Amino acid sequence: MIQQIEKRDGRCVFFDVTKIANAIYRAAEASGGHDYQMSMRLALDVADYIEAHSPTSTPTVEYVQDAVEKILVEQGHARTAKAYILYRNERSRQREMNTGLMKTYEDLTFKSAIENDIKRENANIDGDTAMGTMLKYGSEGAKQFNEMFLLEPHIAKAHREGDIHIHDFDFYTLTTTCTQIDLLKLFENGFSTGHGFLREPNDIRSYSALACIAIQSNQNDQHGGQSVPNFDYSMAPGVRKTYWHNYRDNLAKALEVFDVEEEGLEPAKALIEACAEKPVLADDNGTSEQIRDRLLQRGVAEETVERIIAFTLKYARRETERSTYQAMEALVHNLNTMHSRAGAQIPFSSLNYGTDTSPEGRLVMKSLLLATEAGLGNGETSIFPIHIFKVKEGVNYNPEDPNYDLFKLSMRVSAKRLFPNFSFLDAPYNAQYYKPGHPETEASYMGCRTRVVGNVYDPSREIVNGRGNLSFTSINLPRIAINSKGDIEAFFEELDKKMDLVVDQLKARFKIQCDKRVRNYPFLMGQGIWLDSDKLGPNDKIGEVLKHGTLTIGFIGLAECLKALMGVHHGESEQAQHMGLTIVGRMRERMDRESRETGLNFSVIATPAEGLSGRFVRLDRQRYGVIEGVTDRDYYTNSFHVPVYYPITAFKKIRLEAPYHELTNGGHISYVELDGDPTQNLDAFEAIVRYMKECGIGYGSINHPVDRDPICGYTGIIEDICPRCGRREGEAVSIERLRQLGVYINHNSDTIGYHGDPNEERDRRPNPMA
Amino acid sequence: MNELNHITYNEKGEQMVGEGVGFERIRRITGYLVGTLDRFNNAKRAEEHDRVKHDIRYRA
Repeated sequence: MIQQIEKRDGRCVFFDVTKIANAIYRAAEASGGHDYQMSMRLALDVADYIEAHSPTSTPTVEYVQDAVEKILVEQGHARTAKAYILYRNERSRQREMNTGLMKTYEDLTFKSAIENDIKRENANIDGDTAMGTMLKYGSEGAKQFNEMFLLEPHIAKAHREGDIHIHDFDFYTLTTTCTQIDLLKLFENGFSTGHGFLREPNDIRSYSALACIAIQSNQNDQHGGQSVPNFDYSMAPGVRKTYWHNYRDNLAKALEVFDVEEEGLEPAKALIEACAEKPVLADDNGTSEQIRDRLLQRGVAEETVERIIAFTLKYARRETERSTYQAMEALVHNLNTMHSRAGAQIPFSSLNYGTDTSPEGRLVMKSLLLATEAGLGNGETSIFPIHIFKVKEGVNYNPEDPNYDLFKLSMRVSAKRLFPNFSFLDAPYNAQYYKPGHPETEASYMGCRTRVVGNVYDPSREIVNGRGNLSFTSINLPRIAINSKGDIEAFFEELDKKMDLVVDQLKARFKIQCDKRVRNYPFLMGQGIWLDSDKLGPNDKIGEVLKHGTLTIGFIGLAECLKALMGVHHGESEQAQHMGLTIVGRMRERMDRESRETGLNFSVIATPAEGLSGRFVRLDRQRYGVIEGVTDRDYYTNSFHVPVYYPITAFKKIRLEAPYHELTNGGHISYVELDGDPTQNLDAFEAIVRYMKECGIGYGSINHPVDRDPICGYTGIIEDICPRCGRREGEAVSIERLRQLGVYINHNSDTIGYHGDPNEERDRRPNPMA
Repeated sequence: MNELNHITYNEKGEQMVGEGVGFERIRRITGYLVGTLDRFNNAKRAEEHDRVKHDIRYRA
């Protein structure tokens, strides 16, 4: 008599024949049966069979299951047997996944990021820290749960096998991607971070500090990045208020210094309050003249009055400029050091600016650019925020435009620090939304490339503020091309099917997102960051307001797709370029149709694949082997880019990629790689940016090597040997040599060797603005 | 121990710094930057390695 069976983990448990009966009954039910008695009879037969045939007195679970299959088949229950086998397979797949998860946890625990690629899935998360590893545990566990319990099996399979890739899959049930934050609206009357209330800021330093806090707080409610769509306009009121204070305080000082008053502050306030308007940075609204007249009326000597006014203006301006620079310097430092997500990373922050022509907005931009050019504490290039300079004819593009000087400065800084990137408001698909005097209609970009401006759901709100992407999923284009074996019709048929699948998946995820409530997002929704969320209460569902966001399909490897389909990519052949545009055009048409039918904002993005670039090609190489030009590298080419390895002029690359920007309304970027140090050739740099604009690029940037030796502080291009101190990577250099170079100022061994960079400081050019 | 300030001595007995300290190489990854190449995943490293420079002398 069988007493016990052995489970997979080696434990022995009591042998219970009703468990076998139950399993058979469930399988029978799945194929339409309802006879429990029959199930029990079969289970007893199974028990008899095991009793008679088992090689051991404690059979394994596997042996018992094999016996069940055998008895079901032998006794003519084919459909039940099939259901039982399917159930068994599904259970064993889930078991394998559990084992896989534990293996993943083991690797996360015992391997460093250098050995473990998962820990480097996203380069801006430090997977080696305690909190970074904890996040990865959560993330890997959530992915598995979502796949097993939430996705429909055919979508799970497509995702698992790499036909499609659901981005931020770990956050599938939790939140949305990103938001373009309207700081001005947030600051009005103050706001709460969820941990404390902050008053409406009153000077530029608090404006910039609160901007960082807003970005940080919102980052914790979403899985993507955060951007400020019009940073210049958002900070300008802070400068205005700072100037008022500085004007008042310096007028007060002057009144005392020039012996007009014993105590200057109250009289200065009274003088200013009597004016029609508050003083402004440009000093062009008559306020100073009115104060001058009033002082003269009081009998103050004309010469003294002139000196009081001159003193006030000089120091009010100087102190405002200094405060603004310090505020922007602090902002750059904060955005590179403040933590989000339990300390594993800093917020993904993007700042768009360039079009505010007010003196205050201009001062903000100039200060921010100069602070970025100067670098962080030890002259390092800052990684965040991503700067996006908005280029616009009539505003900053041509020498006669009011912000042309800032456009020039932005290029100088970009040539040194890789940022700003450039966005182009005159590209027709961006220009169509532009309304002068309405910064919220200026197309803006998340730094990575996401673009949200059109609005099918509410065409009266085609604005950037308070909106963002909800989720996106990418299609493996090269695989479809490989499978269609050169048959173009088969290719498009398969592409259409995959797009249908992705649309279904995006809608399913959207449904989950819609069921969330305001209180799930204390900042994003609770503080009214997301458009129209201020009309909801804490327990309201967010489904309706989420419709302002975008549901987006992406793609990777257009170049490899064309190679597989035609033998050439779009850099090599005009026909291939034509085909590339047809493919991406087809995707756009599909999304436009979906938008029309559902009233939701479906869009196409040129996927910013980081983790994905290696995943798809790895799976495809396993499946199809090495195919030249398709699977023979460790990555698929990003979105619609001409392959990085293909020699091509910068201008041709821009020309070929520009038309894809128009098609990818959910976001795009093109970049070119420059050789050498572009700060030595700013004319060439400008020629490239202008060419991007003329070709209809929406968002572009220029790559060049930015290396830094942390020992001597040199920033620039370093091949094998540092051009300043002469050391090789990993080699030591004598302190004497560093002293001779003037870069070893520190004699206290508690801190790092390098403090400030006299050579770099000497190279800094005077500020180009009038 | 702070590597940047770790002092070693060469054969002449001179004080040296920088032993084991690499260069930082900042690159654009997908639109945003990354502090150093060590943080890139394997595929992105391969891609970065393959990047060729684009000529700007001709408009062709």
